[in-house]
Amino acid sequence: MKVTRRDLLLWGAAGAAGLAITPVPWKLLDDVSIWSQNWPWIPQPTHGPVEVKQSFCTLCPNGCGMRVRMAAGWPVGIAGVASHPITRGALCPLGYGAHQLNWHPQRLRTVRHRTNSSSWEEARAAFAKACGEGPIAIIDGYPGRAASSVFESFAQKRGSYRAVLGPEMQALSPYEMWSGVPAAGLGYDLENAQTVVSFGAPLLDGWGTPGRFTRLWAERAAGSTDPQLRLIQVEPSFSGTAPSRTATRAWQWVPIHAGAEAALAAGLARVLLDEHLVSVSARGPMPPITLAEAADETGLSIGAIADLARTMVARPPVLVIANDGNPAIAALNVVLGAAGAPGGIVRRAKHTESYASAAADIGSARAVLIDSTVPWNFAPPTNAEVFRFAAWDGGSCTADWLLPAPGFLEELTDVPTSPASAIATYAVAPTLLKAPPGVQSAAQFLFLSGIDPTLMPVEKIIHARCADLFRERAGTLQGQDTTPVAKFASVQKLEEQLWKGAVWIGEPPRSAAFRCALKEWPATARSAQSMSSSSMNWSKAWRAPVLPPLASKLYQESSLREAPEGRNA
Amino acid sequence: MNARYGMVIDLDRCTGCGACMVACASENNVPSIPQATPRTGLTPMLVRRVSNEMEGSARREVFIPITCMHCERETPCVSVCPQQAVEVDKATGIVMQMPQRCLGCRYCMTACPYHARYFNWWDPAWPAGMEKSLNPGVAVRMRGVVEKCNMCHARLHSAKAKAAAAGRREIDPADYVPACAEACPTAAIRFGNLADQNDPVSQEAHSPDAFRFLTRLGTEPKLYYKSKEAWVRALAESTSANAEVKHG
Repeated sequence: MKVTRRDLLLWGAAGAAGLAITPVPWKLLDDVSIWSQNWPWIPQPTHGPVEVKQSFCTLCPNGCGMRVRMAAGWPVGIAGVASHPITRGALCPLGYGAHQLNWHPQRLRTVRHRTNSSSWEEARAAFAKACGEGPIAIIDGYPGRAASSVFESFAQKRGSYRAVLGPEMQALSPYEMWSGVPAAGLGYDLENAQTVVSFGAPLLDGWGTPGRFTRLWAERAAGSTDPQLRLIQVEPSFSGTAPSRTATRAWQWVPIHAGAEAALAAGLARVLLDEHLVSVSARGPMPPITLAEAADETGLSIGAIADLARTMVARPPVLVIANDGNPAIAALNVVLGAAGAPGGIVRRAKHTESYASAAADIGSARAVLIDSTVPWNFAPPTNAEVFRFAAWDGGSCTADWLLPAPGFLEELTDVPTSPASAIATYAVAPTLLKAPPGVQSAAQFLFLSGIDPTLMPVEKIIHARCADLFRERAGTLQGQDTTPVAKFASVQKLEEQLWKGAVWIGEPPRSAAFRCALKEWPATARSAQSMSSSSMNWSKAWRAPVLPPLASKLYQESSLREAPEGRNA
Repeated sequence: MNARYGMVIDLDRCTGCGACMVACASENNVPSIPQATPRTGLTPMLVRRVSNEMEGSARREVFIPITCMHCERETPCVSVCPQQAVEVDKATGIVMQMPQRCLGCRYCMTACPYHARYFNWWDPAWPAGMEKSLNPGVAVRMRGVVEKCNMCHARLHSAKAKAAAAGRREIDPADYVPACAEACPTAAIRFGNLADQNDPVSQEAHSPDAFRFLTRLGTEPKLYYKSKEAWVRALAESTSANAEVKHG
């Protein structure tokens, strides 16, 4: 049979048409689709036994309770702990991606001396030499930990111990000045306040312990025109810039001129005193500013300031919160009688420690040791040799010696009371991940340097603190159940629960009161820096130089937030 | 009885923190893409910011978490998919996306009235070692496929496995909560079974402040929103309220 060109074309066309009505091409297409989705270079999750461990976030001083889901020994997910007395199950957005931080490309793994690679031996030798030549300053980011007491012991004999305090603690410093009660022993009794006036503090966007105020606000205020908890946000309005989340979600937003917060506080105090809106016992000195001057400086009318003052006291207790240590705003709390009263600034415990600020002049220090808990952008005001511990480099830490510290979940640490809390708490964050080789914490470094043979390792200090809790037999342990400490038969049982993620909650002091001797009204000079909370958010309050990679969902892959400056996600 | 899983999102409680977005990405092994933008990123849960367009102290803003609405009737993405890569699970009411079947034609993205679907433009990649932090319950998707919220289906599987191990047919509702609802620090996102009249979420969905977006399309979404503010409720049928950058 002769095959013609026409036959070939016919067979070809018939074959193609026949194939098209069979499932073959579609099955092939489907298989190719499945096959091409399983390339060997597509990462596969690690499979293995799954367990959930309780711990605490150590990336900022708030120490939120966390449930860490581990698969094959690696953390694969983080969630909050609903039974935590302060966070009540909340974490900050960055905390949910924190388990990926240890593999961040900018993880610091080797010792660096200026731009060169170096070794721990050389770093120790340089530090020992500096200790022999002059005083040492040690700067801590989270005071009150076991590691902090290592620093304090070392610094006691060889220099000074200083702490970098967050805005919540800075705002409490004026009360320390007027009452003698250390700021570290004071807290905000948000739970009992009915009116909260925030002077630029980002209460709904990264202030204090995540979830503490936002949950209160959600339960008592959200959406109501006459809420149980009135949130008044005093904050400058900048043209062309969106106001902060706190301002637009608050019950009332009071836009004022930038830097006029102190003048408004003085103006409000004047109305309160003139109109006898506060109790006689709470009265303080009359502010040296007229209402007209306050109105002129703030951009509000005299009537608006008077109305605001009356609104503030309409639903007591009222608590004023500043975003920094502005004494005029703190003085307004004194006038309102909120300093040392329920629903105001309260004394939470017998804590008597007072911390020297790291912002002060370090003076003649020969060397400065900076712990990894200190915010990434903190630069000590000194020309001394700087030994800086950091888990991540971020290309932003300036130091003579850059020393690799343990990352997230890689270090045993204790978690003292969070800075703004009204109750005392204590917890232990155990080591859940083995730190990579060549990594050392600042406390370990001091201990291993052998310079001070009396130093105790962190673990021993934590044991001693647990023994103290057991001996005092005060407070309760909040884990799966609530158990009074007095019911524990041995310190080992107590420690076992703390190591498993329970939180010790101290008994509230018999009286939260303290007396502020405010003899004259603090200066009402214009703040050099605006206190808009729109410039604050979670990522800016974050202390590490890098963000969890998934934070890119918030500012890069969506337009929810502005991009962080100088950070690496 | 078949379940109808859904959510009620109380917009008055949302502070726009974004915890739901990060928790969702972590749970579902959604990669962080260095070159992605709001147009090309992968955000199965996306919080949008909308204002009342007033100035000064009268300005109000609301944050709207947008994810797949799990439409119940005439589900647009199901109707248009040439690959049957999308289907409504009758047992749960969840609109399921099967990336293995997806050819990446993006017809479903065009059809979705809520812009809740995302195309995977790049190979998923993590820095060296970070793959150890991936959730073992969820497979990583390849580039070239469409992704969306599946109400953390891996968690439903775990809850079913737990119930089966305990000899129960029904799951314990406490065992199945999607990552976004679990992470919300103000409990604005609440998840439950809309078919169960005793479920608090089902009851909330029928409260006077509850509404759904674009109900005129008749797709019966299973995501309800709530607000006491009238201007927020008025957004429900708006087509261009402060229109943001579209993705795709």
